[in-house]
Amino acid sequence: MDKSDGCPGSRMMNFKKAAEMNTGPAVGKIKSQLTQWPIQMHLINPAAPYYQGADVLLTADCVAYALGDFHRDYLKDKSIAIACPKLDQGQDVYLEKIRAWIDDAKINTLTVLIMQVPCCMGLMNLARQAADGSKRKVPIKYVVVGVQGEILQEEWAAA
Amino acid sequence: MNEYLNRGIKEIIEEFPEVEDVLNDYDIGCGPCSVGICLLKDIVAIHRLPQDQEQQLMARIAKVIHPDKDIRIPQAEKKVLTRSEEFNYSPPMKKLVDEHVVIKRWIALIPEFAKNLDVESEGGRRLILDGIDLIRSYADKYHHAKEEDILFKYFDEEADIIKVMLQDHTHGRALVKEMLAALEKRDAKTIAANLMAYRELLTEHIRKEDEILYPWMDNQLSTRQVGELFAKFDEVDRQIDVSPGTYEVFIAQLEKKFA
Repeated sequence: MDKSDGCPGSRMMNFKKAAEMNTGPAVGKIKSQLTQWPIQMHLINPAAPYYQGADVLLTADCVAYALGDFHRDYLKDKSIAIACPKLDQGQDVYLEKIRAWIDDAKINTLTVLIMQVPCCMGLMNLARQAADGSKRKVPIKYVVVGVQGEILQEEWAAA
Repeated sequence: MNEYLNRGIKEIIEEFPEVEDVLNDYDIGCGPCSVGICLLKDIVAIHRLPQDQEQQLMARIAKVIHPDKDIRIPQAEKKVLTRSEEFNYSPPMKKLVDEHVVIKRWIALIPEFAKNLDVESEGGRRLILDGIDLIRSYADKYHHAKEEDILFKYFDEEADIIKVMLQDHTHGRALVKEMLAALEKRDAKTIAANLMAYRELLTEHIRKEDEILYPWMDNQLSTRQVGELFAKFDEVDRQIDVSPGTYEVFIAQLEKKFA
């Protein structure tokens, strides 16, 4: 694995060999579990019908690339929005949209998936802040994904 | 060995008492359980031991049952306990665990409360009734009803572990009935005996739920079901006649009195 100094979020790493070893059994084409469009946080409407009473995933942009079983294990049966807490502008809009999911769309649960890099914590904090400012309470789960797709942490937050 | 997996644990312990010691080594306390109808295979599954420990446990039990057979007992990593405080409960399960905390505070007061029963004065009888009301309204109507009317419906209610919990609830209700009948007769001794029996019952019942049942259930529930349960428990909290905080005030007063 090569590495250079600097921010862990943008530090260069190469795990090609590990990826080559993870070929796994051939199971044919994997069906997409995405059931909506759009998905980017700035583009989504929190009042869209597919968010009403839904189990929602709020996912950092990089997660779906790192997590091999993302569609099967996390996206299935859920609605989604994606965002990058490091690079996206205007994140106060995100805060309002998460609040609208909880209070207006009356979502059932919120699962926040982030990468292990420190800048991704921003998305978790955003979800926490929105939940604290909401009138309703919903179960929130946090999942931290390693850069090679491993689940480092998966736990429910205190409601 | 397979035939033993489908047998009740009490029956196995009766036939092979050493099995109880093996289970104790893994913090699986089936010995004191008053019912003991759980099947061996369910006990192994419910306790969620790390795989190496589960294999070691099963090999040790097999060795007790078939001492003449050459059974290799695998090495296991250092034991990892699954205590309630280490488990990350889902929010609805956490609600139930938090309600247990209130009940445990009351249970801790019972020995002193039972020693100081005053069945002769109006105020004394009122205090006893308030204590019984905490059991009936908070522990049973509020907390146990959440389990019986909502939570258990998500699982097979014929499962032995759930049957055991329901039997505990029924036993608790019978003890309350005895307490009320004894209060009518101003029989302090019987009230005290039933209060102590309730304390013993609920102490073990709560331990089983916090450390075994709820973590097991949490592992079975989907994200969808966790959200549904949370909303349903919330609805119960909104509709309850008496605020649960009222009982906490009652307990705090007793804690002060018996401090």
